[in-house]
Amino acid sequence: MAKETMTSEERLWSAIRLEKPDRVPVAPLMSTAAASTLMNLDPAKVYASAQDQLDAEIKAFDAFGGWDGVIGSPLSAEELGLYFKIRKPGVDEGVTELQTIEEENTKFEDYDTITEIGLYPYLMEHLVPRLHNISPEEGTQLTDNVQTTLLEVGMRGLVEYQERGAAPLFPVWYPHPFFQLSLTRSMVSLTEDIYYHPEVVDKAMKASMQQYIEMGIEICQATGLNMCNCTEERAGAAIYPLNVFERFWWPYAREVVDAFWSEGIVTWFHLDTNWIKNLPYFKELPKGSAIIDLDGTTDIFAAKEILRGHLCISSDVHATLLSLGTPEEVENYCKKVIDEVGGDGGLILSTGCTVPGAIKPENFRAMIETGKNYELSKK
Amino acid sequence: MSENLSKALTELKRDEVLDTLKRRIDNNDDPIQLLEECREGMTVVGELYQKGEYYLAEMMLSAKIFSEATTLLEPALSKARPTEAMGRIVLATMKGDIHDLGKNIVAALLKAQGFLVDDLGVDVEPARVFEKVKEVKPDFVGFSCLMTGAFDAMKQTSEMLEEAGLKDKLKMMVGGGVVTSRVKEYINADFHTVDAAEGVDYCMKEIGGK
Repeated sequence: MAKETMTSEERLWSAIRLEKPDRVPVAPLMSTAAASTLMNLDPAKVYASAQDQLDAEIKAFDAFGGWDGVIGSPLSAEELGLYFKIRKPGVDEGVTELQTIEEENTKFEDYDTITEIGLYPYLMEHLVPRLHNISPEEGTQLTDNVQTTLLEVGMRGLVEYQERGAAPLFPVWYPHPFFQLSLTRSMVSLTEDIYYHPEVVDKAMKASMQQYIEMGIEICQATGLNMCNCTEERAGAAIYPLNVFERFWWPYAREVVDAFWSEGIVTWFHLDTNWIKNLPYFKELPKGSAIIDLDGTTDIFAAKEILRGHLCISSDVHATLLSLGTPEEVENYCKKVIDEVGGDGGLILSTGCTVPGAIKPENFRAMIETGKNYELSKK
Repeated sequence: MSENLSKALTELKRDEVLDTLKRRIDNNDDPIQLLEECREGMTVVGELYQKGEYYLAEMMLSAKIFSEATTLLEPALSKARPTEAMGRIVLATMKGDIHDLGKNIVAALLKAQGFLVDDLGVDVEPARVFEKVKEVKPDFVGFSCLMTGAFDAMKQTSEMLEEAGLKDKLKMMVGGGVVTSRVKEYINADFHTVDAAEGVDYCMKEIGGK
């Protein structure tokens, strides 16, 4: 078997630049729930703090021989708990995985405030105080404290992973403002707003974009990374028609990429559900300026035909395959993706969304090992 | 008049649907006829979805309007002659999962087709589904699933029904973002989908075949 000739960092960025690295970079999007399962840890203890979450994820990294691309900061209970009611292991009986409870936390009348000050100050100064029954000053303080903690955790994660030879992806999960609004307003209510009061949603989005861009650049500068996440689970054509996408999502996403790209930052689009009808729009972006991370619902082979030679694709090993399949099935799927999607470069081997909580350890190992060995074994 | 109510629902004109309904309830129009007109509107929404002209967003909005319409009609319907349900289904998002959007859409669409829906909610223990099935003897059990952590609760429910000899008296279906044929096989269900409208079609076909 041939030997590796690149570091994880070189391999990852080679793929992002649409080149053919020595082998496909492997970057499963680890979740704390999966790390608990893989390492047989008590979820109640693992979710006690963001630092504990990170420890569990690093243990999984070490136990499975490591991989190339990592996220420094786990999606923490502290952060989600700021903006949503959550169900948390160790707090809520029988819960093994962190989940948010989707409610209409943002009311229709809150649009006036969002339009006036933007979504992010609204979240800190109005929503957080309301959810936690504290004053606006305390809300801002609480948010600052959580963000400071997360930055500390994220920085420790970056150091620990880099010591192990891994390359950082993006610093934190960072929902597109449309997705953030949908989560806090609730999907049904935001959909009603879009259809019955579209101008209100327009104004809220316009008031929030510059903030989103500036914060994204600040986070990247603070962590020294040149990749920013942009997560969207709801704006694709699995849910909304293209005229909604064209009005409420795409122009903003393009604005984000243009702004990040001018700062040397690439955008990691984490796109859950089926985006096949939306993918042609992404060809408008500068070549190599973004990664398209699919969740196994979009046909990745068709996606490759659309994006070939233009944007790197992150694939997509389905949560159900990892949870219910066999190691042989996982291996065969990874090989097919590596050959057919990564044959001419521009591929990162990843999980469809994050590593699922019900992951089978032998399947996870099969994915990591196939990614690390398959192409080298053919040379 | 009939065409207007159904058309307004198809076109997602919420206020027009509810205003028309209120006026016609006050007018003592037959509530069963009014419900039928709303159902006609929902059927057209389903057809538009199948043709790719409507998306999940429109399904979601129509389901919400239909649900509000049936709430308005409920008092009048309860006084009217009972109608025979098209079929009965027990729906649940199982233990380990609290997502209910897909389940709620399926519930509304099935109600629009005349099904009696026993919606057990989210994070439901297998024993609760089992007891409900024993009690109401439904034609279908439907699981909604977005989290892999809920697979085992669905499988356990299926096995409990099997052991009690109840499973072959109903059809079991599963739908949701992470659902593939593997999940169907794992829990020994009869049907799987990621598409709410397909789930409703399946129920209609099965009932038609009975």
